[in-house]
Formats: sequence, structure tokens, C-alpha cells
Amino acid sequence: MKKRMMNGARWAALAAAAALVVAGCGTSTPAPAGGAPDELRLAIGGESEEGYDPTLGWGRYGSPLFHSTLLARDADLNIVPDLATDYSVSDDGLVWTVDIRTDARFTDGTPVTARDVAYTFTTAARSGGLTDVTALREAVVVDDDTVELRLTAPQSTFVNRLVTLGIVPEHAHGPDYARNPIGSGPFRLVQWDPGQQLIVERNDDYYGPAPAFRRVVFLFTGEDATMAAATAGRVDVAAVPSSLATATVPGMRLVAVPSVDNRGISFPTVPDTGRTDAEGRPIGNDVTSDLAIRQAVNWAVDRQALVDGVLEGYGSPATGPVDGLPWYEPASAIPGNDPARAAAILDAAGWVDSDGDGVRERNGVRAAFTLLYRAEDSLRQALALAVADMVRPVGIEITPSGVSWDVVTARLHADAVVFGWGSHDPTEMYNLYSSRQAGIELWNPGYYSNPTVDAHLDAAMAATDPEVANRHWRAAQADENGVGFGPAGDAAWAWLVNLQHTYYVDECLDIGRPQIEPHGHGWPITAGITGWRWTC
Amino acid sequence: MSPVRVISAVGGRVLRLALLLATVAVASFVLMVNSPVDPVSAYVGADVAVIGPEQRALIAERWGLDDPPLERFGAWLGNLLQGDLGHSLTFNQPVTEVIAQRFLTSLALMSAAWLLSGLIGFALGVLAGVQRGRAADRVVTWWAYTLASAPTFWVGLLLLYVFSVWLGWTPVCCAVPVGVTADEVGLLDRIHHLLLPAVTLSIVGVAPVVLHTRHAVVEALESDYVAFARAQGESTAGVVLHRVLRNAAAPALLLQFSSWGELFGGSVLAEQVFSYPGLGAATTAAALGQDVPLLLGIALFTTVFVFVGNAIGDLVHAQVDPRIRRVGASWRSRGRATAEEVA
Repeated sequence: MKKRMMNGARWAALAAAAALVVAGCGTSTPAPAGGAPDELRLAIGGESEEGYDPTLGWGRYGSPLFHSTLLARDADLNIVPDLATDYSVSDDGLVWTVDIRTDARFTDGTPVTARDVAYTFTTAARSGGLTDVTALREAVVVDDDTVELRLTAPQSTFVNRLVTLGIVPEHAHGPDYARNPIGSGPFRLVQWDPGQQLIVERNDDYYGPAPAFRRVVFLFTGEDATMAAATAGRVDVAAVPSSLATATVPGMRLVAVPSVDNRGISFPTVPDTGRTDAEGRPIGNDVTSDLAIRQAVNWAVDRQALVDGVLEGYGSPATGPVDGLPWYEPASAIPGNDPARAAAILDAAGWVDSDGDGVRERNGVRAAFTLLYRAEDSLRQALALAVADMVRPVGIEITPSGVSWDVVTARLHADAVVFGWGSHDPTEMYNLYSSRQAGIELWNPGYYSNPTVDAHLDAAMAATDPEVANRHWRAAQADENGVGFGPAGDAAWAWLVNLQHTYYVDECLDIGRPQIEPHGHGWPITAGITGWRWTC
Repeated sequence: MSPVRVISAVGGRVLRLALLLATVAVASFVLMVNSPVDPVSAYVGADVAVIGPEQRALIAERWGLDDPPLERFGAWLGNLLQGDLGHSLTFNQPVTEVIAQRFLTSLALMSAAWLLSGLIGFALGVLAGVQRGRAADRVVTWWAYTLASAPTFWVGLLLLYVFSVWLGWTPVCCAVPVGVTADEVGLLDRIHHLLLPAVTLSIVGVAPVVLHTRHAVVEALESDYVAFARAQGESTAGVVLHRVLRNAAAPALLLQFSSWGELFGGSVLAEQVFSYPGLGAATTAAALGQDVPLLLGIALFTTVFVFVGNAIGDLVHAQVDPRIRRVGASWRSRGRATAEEVA
């Protein structure tokens, strides 16, 4: 080849490509995905770089694979037993008594006992990981299959720790555990190549329904390589952003899974009186603190147009932070896309355009405010711009402003901000709307406060029965008198859209009916993996 | 060279490296401590909705972020002197382990790319120089300029789609075959997975080598000694082989060794595209997670790496070009060498 390069000058430019071709021919091509019928290959991201230790947060998005959890959520997100056969909460909400099954074994052969459960909760409560078990005061072993979880305060949402915290074996939980997890879940770890892949195999001792696949491989590819892998037929499931979901991939179908991965606008709900928070950040906005303005924005926005135009159809209009979840209140919703109604609300509240510049005023204050969004997030940018266009005809001027996350955190009490939320844990709803959480972390950024809503949120948190809790969660959005934080009530936020998470799935793979997914795109789809089947 | 000179040259280099490392460590630490990215927030990420202030305090405590920066730097420095680079926040693993594992993978990638870019670049540079002004020269030069301005990331994607998706010759990702356990992975598998990332990465380094070699060849061909050789009837092939190659090799070699820094920078992007788990990918993860111990470890490691590359470059350059050797193997002393010669 070198000779050709020296003599045939015209071929010089192709030399590198030729080298590639020659080298490429000499090596074997790997077998396509699905070559082995009992092997499954998924490119859905979700690598836990710090390893697979539940006490550090592994498994918080659905199935921990290697571990079993005390409780689980079914496809409708209702609580169902798993490792626990039963549980009860004391009347004061402080003691959770959990009975566990006696036939569960860790993959090293030892039985799962109440001691392991107590150890797991105690360790998770003390370790600085991504699962918040700080509500736990102590975990006490009552007998071999009963454990008492004693809390510092009643917390109905503690049930989510029972759903997400995988039980680890006390005798094998050492410094290396995150890299060599041992659990009692449906799969066991075979090999983890950090940054590349996770190979797991079916745990034949698993007490639950046996997965249909002997081996599952998770590929940790970036967006582009994932798309390439799907196009080349090397994976059976590929999580792709909806912007890439327009292509037709041979042998695969596009599955759009509904989610509460939402985007909405937070409004400062208090006027600007020069007050600042503990860190000196300004609080309040004289325009968005007016109920009429917030309601008018909620009524003027055409959410379906946002779904069609910004999300390419992969989404649904959002009416609240928990759309479709068991604690969602449909009565809190408004249809939106009604500029006439928005205008009427503004008229009634005394906002009129007296100087003819297209923007209403009241007592010398223009109906104009800034809407911040993270500059690097094109989706939030598109939403902010579209909303500004939608409210202009009713006489409200929104100035979208793309800024860094620093600026967002400095201004979030004083300016409207495009946020994204979405969790299977109603704690999030509590944090976004309880006046107690105003100004803490990114929670309740607008200092929203309504005693009736607070009472419902607190009652939901203190409830000892899940149904009672859900009733209060729903009432916080809109109660029988129409009071609530939802758009029909105080309109503390203007929720815009829920995303759909898009996956390419092998035409022969039945993934059942997926759960409504939380904020994370990818790993949550594995929640039902033990029920997946080949259909051809 | 006398022993005294060797010792003073080596000693000088070691001293310079030590100073450089100290500067890099302090500067990196100051930059990172003042970075607006809060490591706890970066770690919490999308879980911000349900992670409360108490849990954040636990995270900060686990990572030792509660101590004042100066104390943390002092503790880090103390451990460093005992050979302990600390614990990576992102990977929950000792920094030395992270770097060792990742660097081995990166080393294969970088050395393959380095050899490719050196050999191809030098061959094309000589070709272009010899054929100056003719079609071959124009094509090669044009190609070099195109590569110099093509983003690695984009080239990687292009190659990925052509060779992995359309032709199906190369794998779409990773350093090892998908779904195969380590004991079943052969050398051929590894080479197969190395191919595309290495070619992508070599493209970063090839253009400068081509253009510098071309220039050196042109310069040599215009020299009096080549004119003399031609007058004696030596053929073009003979002239190139005996009179030009060695002269042209000097800048190419120096460039190749001093390109270790760029090679590392390019590997960050190439590894990202191909999910190749080298040091570049770890750097990205560490930076996004504000993983100070790992970032400091990588900064120090790459400093040594680039420094060694430059030092070897100087030595080899001096071997190839005797004019350099007279005042020790330092590229920076080349100006003084010429001055001495003139004097």
C-alpha cells in the first residue's frame, strides 16, 4: 500500500480510508442482538458510577435488579408486597412494623432475615448517599421475620423507602460491596465494565416470578452511540431523546411511555417588599404575586400546541406536578387555551392597557415579568419562548431569559423560572407547595403559602393509611370548595407539559404496560423487567 | 556528554517537574474550590425533589466537604506525600485505582492513535514535500487542512455511522465485546474495538505532522547539499532517502512527542463518542461531578505524562539533530545553541 501511496499521487487522500477497509475486513463481526434467545441487550443508560449499593441510593428509580425491596409498585403505581408479606403503621404514625417472607435467600445462599432489613435501613439512614432515610430514628429486630422501623416524625411517604431501598446482607456489606453486590433480587451481577456495560444473569433462587431471560446486558452508550447501536440492530431496547425518535429503525418499534417528567413555570407568589432570604437572595415579584396574572397565564397557554410544536407530539398537556399518579386530583385541572377567559380575569382584576402599548397596567405596574430558563436546555428555551408568544395577545409581557444555573438559584424567589420535576414520591409535591419548605433547596421557590393547602399537605404526610394520605394529597390540589394550589385555585405554578419517554423496542419483545415514569428517562422502564417476554 | 552535565540536566528537569506539579496542584485546587458547581448538588442532580437538607449534610460529611478549603488542601497534600491520592467521589473508589484502570485502556487507544498519526502524517508529509506544487501535494495539503479543522467528535460520529452502522465492520461501542465476560475476550476483540476510536483520535494529530514534515522536506530539498548531491547525479529517491528523511524527521518527532497533551485532550471526545472507558471519559465524569480528588489526580497525572512526552521529544530530537545536542537536550536552548555556533 505504501508503494501505491508513493506512486499513485491521486490516491493519497484515500490512503487512510483504505487502511481502515483492509484492517476492518480482517476481523470478525459480532453476532447481532437477540442472537441468543435468552439474552437481552438494553441501551437505556442509568449506569451507577459509584456502584450498586442500595444504601447509597442504587435502585431509587425502580428495580434494583440485584436486590429485592420490602414493597413494590405495580403498573398503576399501587403498593404491592414484595419481600414484605405485610406491614402496619401505628396510630401515631411513628412505628412501621414489617413482616418479611421466610423463603428469600441472598445469592450467596444465606437467608434474608429481619436483621438484614434493620441493618439496611440503619446504614442507609446514616450514609451520605442518594436515598433520604433521615426520618428513621432506629430499626429494631422483633424476631427473625419482623422488624420495626421507628421514625422521628410521622411520614406517610416513608413507604417510598420501603419501595425503593434494596435489602443488603449484613454479613457481606463491606467496602467492596458496591462493586460486588449480593442481594435477593431477580438477577445477580456477573460483570461490570465501568463506562461500558453491566452483565447480569437470572437468579434462579429468586422467590418471585422468574425472568424470561437468562442474561441481560446493559450498555452504557451516549445518545449517538445508542442510536447507532439501535440502527445497527445490536440492542433490543434503546432509550433515545424524543428529538431522535423520528427515524425508522428496522426491526424495532417506537414506544412512547407517559411520564410525570414535567416542565412548568414557578411564580413568586409574594410581592417584592425588599425582603431577602437567609442567603441574601431577593424575594417577591409585584406582578406574579397577583393571582389574576397567574391564572391568566394558566388560561392563556395552549398546552396541546406546546406538545405538538415543542415536543414533536411526544408528551401530554400538564395540569399539575403529579398528573395521572394515584394522588392526582383531576378537578384541579383547567382546559387552558382560552385567551378570552384570561383577558376577562385580567379585566376583572383591574389590569387594563391604558397607554395602548399592548401590555396591561395596574396602579402604574406593567403586567410584565422575566421568565428564566437554563440556557443550555433547548427544550426549556423553546417552552419559554412559546409561552411568551401565547400570553402576549392577552396583554402580558413575558421576557424569556436564558441564564446559567447560578443565576436561576440566585433569582428563583424573585423571577418566574421554568423548572422540570416529576417523582413517584409525593414528598416532591409537599416540598413544592408547603409554606414550610419555602426557600429551602429549590423547593417552593415562589414562597407560596395557603393555610388550607398546608393543612392538607401536613395531614397527608401524617396519615397512617395510604388511602387517607392520597385523599389529602388530592385535596391540596383542589378541595371540595375549589381551594388548592392547582391552576383552578391559587395557580401557584403554570404547569405546561409532561414528556413522553421514547424507546426503540425490538418488534418481538413484549415489555408489558410500563408505569408512568418519573423524571429520569431510561432506567425506570426496567421496573417491569421480570415480566418481559419474547413474542416471536 | 560529561557525567556532570547529565546529572545537572536530569536534576534540572526533575526540579522543573516538581515546580510544575506544585503549580498545577495549587492552581487546579483554587479553580475547583471557586467553581460555581456544588459537588453535592451535582451528585444529587435530578433527585433534588426528595433529598432534604439533612441528607445533603450527610453527603457533605461523607466527602469531608465541611472542612475549610485550606485544611482540605493540606490534608490532601499530606496524603499525597504518602502516595495516597484520595478517594474519588464519582466512582466511590481510590483515585489511584481509577487512574490506573482507566489509563491502561487509554494507553492502548492513545499509543495506537499516536503511531497511526505519526506514520501516516510523516509519509504524507514527505510525499507532499517531494511533490511540491503538484497534484499530490495539493491533495495532501488540502486533506491536512480539512482534518485540522474537523472536530474530533464529528469525525468520530461519521466513522461510527459509516463503518459500524452501514458496513457493520466495527462495533458500535466499548473496549470489549457486548455481553461477553472478561475471560472470553481475546486480543483480537480488543484490537477490533480499538480500531475506530484510534483512527478518530489519530486524526487530531495527523495534520500538524503532515504540514511540518512537508515544510522540512521542502527546506531540505532546496538546500545546497541536496543541490550538490543532485549535481553528482543522485536520483530523487536517493536524495530523499539519504539526505532529506533524517532532517525532516526531527520536527516530526519533536511534534509527535509534544502532542501528548493534545492526544489526551482528543481522547476525551473520542472516548465519549465510542463509549470507550478511558481516562478521558473519567475526566468528563469527574468534571461534571466536581470530583476534586479525582480531577486533581488526573491533572497531576497528565502533567507528568505531557512533561515526559516533551522530555522524550527533546532527547530524540537531539539524537536525530546533532546541532541540538551541544548544550544538552533542551528544546528551549536551541536559540542559545545557534548563538554559540555563530559566536
